[in-house]
Amino acid sequence: MGLIDKLDNKVSKTIGSLALLLVMVLLPLRVDNYVQNVLWNAMFYMLLALGLNVIVGYCGLCDLGYAAKFAIGAYTTGVLMKSFSWNFWLTLPVSMLISAITAAIVGGATLKLRSDYLAIVTLGFAEIVRISVRNMSITGSASGLIAISRPSLFGIRLTRITHWYYVFLVLVLMFIFITYRIRHSRFGRALTYIREDEDAAQAMGINTTKYKLYAYIIGAVLGGITGSFYAVKMTNISPTSFDFTQSANILLAVILGGMGKIPGVIVGAAFFAIFPELFRDIPIIGEMRMLFFGILLIVVMITRPQGLWPERKQRM
Amino acid sequence: MALVEVNNLSMRFSGIVAVEDLSFEIEEGSITSLIGPNGAGKTSVFNCMTGFYKASSGDIIFDGQSLINLKPYSITEKGIIRTFQNVRLFKNLTAMENVMSGVHRVTNQSIFGALLRHPKQRREEEKIRETAEFFMNYVGIYDKKDILAKNLSYGDQRRTEWARALSASPKLLLLDEPAAGLNREEKESLVELIHSFRDSYGITVFFIEHDMELVMKASEKVIVVNFGKKIAQGTPNEVQNNPLVVEAYLGS
Repeated sequence: MGLIDKLDNKVSKTIGSLALLLVMVLLPLRVDNYVQNVLWNAMFYMLLALGLNVIVGYCGLCDLGYAAKFAIGAYTTGVLMKSFSWNFWLTLPVSMLISAITAAIVGGATLKLRSDYLAIVTLGFAEIVRISVRNMSITGSASGLIAISRPSLFGIRLTRITHWYYVFLVLVLMFIFITYRIRHSRFGRALTYIREDEDAAQAMGINTTKYKLYAYIIGAVLGGITGSFYAVKMTNISPTSFDFTQSANILLAVILGGMGKIPGVIVGAAFFAIFPELFRDIPIIGEMRMLFFGILLIVVMITRPQGLWPERKQRM
Repeated sequence: MALVEVNNLSMRFSGIVAVEDLSFEIEEGSITSLIGPNGAGKTSVFNCMTGFYKASSGDIIFDGQSLINLKPYSITEKGIIRTFQNVRLFKNLTAMENVMSGVHRVTNQSIFGALLRHPKQRREEEKIRETAEFFMNYVGIYDKKDILAKNLSYGDQRRTEWARALSASPKLLLLDEPAAGLNREEKESLVELIHSFRDSYGITVFFIEHDMELVMKASEKVIVVNFGKKIAQGTPNEVQNNPLVVEAYLGS
């Protein structure tokens, strides 16, 4: 590949991304609330998938309880706003802090062990979180928290779906920026070395326990932020929003698109959120759309185990 | 003063003795090889020296400090860098990214540097890149820097591993069977490389090898082990003519 090809490739990539962004920005002017809501849902999954990607995709840790991370964010914001009448924006740092602390405790206790244990512990921890919020009165027990008030931004009260569409679009861009910079740094490379070969990473002087813990905490904080925004967008949150299916869905979105690859993860999340909606109105197939979706997932995993997104091009 | 002192090192795995009461020294700036028949415990010695195994008893002193009970990464931080018998590269990363991992030891940007990309961080990234490129050029794989490690030929994978170890600027370089699987030409360039590691960068080299021709050509001192015990040591010539060594290799 010559220099001109390389440059061309870079230019066409940039143009492609900008065009896609422009479409996303202008879309709410042309489509109805239903479509905006579907796209909002896709962006919501993108945020979760980008956060989980740091843990699973970059560092190769198996996290089966990511729903707990965004439940912690959602409930921190919900409780602070409902019971203590906090302003939404002030709950954000608290939600990030609590996410980081819980991740440090769970990760600190398990990350010294072989990676397989983390899968079991995260699964168990997610259940603990779900059952706890189900049984505590401050979190509204089984019915959850209702009528969480809507926040304001630049004097506009965020009530319409279009508002939330743009808020989440900005969040997606921020998460892409953050996780991209992490990936292309000494810190992010250390995470991928651990994913590829933990012993060899140690032999290169990487404190693997410490770096795995950092990856786990970063993933949890991103999940917490997403959860906080989810709480005020939905205004109602209940334990059923954070069950194991939710954790599995996010993990599937990451694996489906291609672990560790930012565009792949985004495509995976979008596919995951939009595909079932496309088939909703078709007779017969509509009722069985989750069945078709399941079959499709299996086919994708068999034919493209590395995910939907193509491997990066390389010189031979 | 010796750079490394191994004193009465023993390594047992529930009854099986891999290394028994082994003592030797490695002089600073020397090229020393460790030889012995298959299963003699050579790689176990390496694993004890790099913290991958916890020695059952004995002591390993590097640069005046004991390495016993240290984790592999903190031993690497002290300047002992190893390669693996069965090449352990980061398979799904490019040759370049593999070699850049070596520079981790001598750099220190954290997560905040990654996010903020301040000038210091950018300078360090540049240094990582330059160091990696320099050593890829040095071992002759620069033109393959963008190829995924898993798609490299075996010889090039070996070279990538050497470049990765060198870019960590080791004081002591441990090579575990560096010539395994290499052809004649590649072995000859390896002899030259090992000498230039020491002559150009003052790196002390300690290596395990089965290829006797390479051992004789490359090393200044040879340590021979059999059944975990040292049976001989000396210059290549002395060792070659030692009846105990001949017996260990050929049987009595």
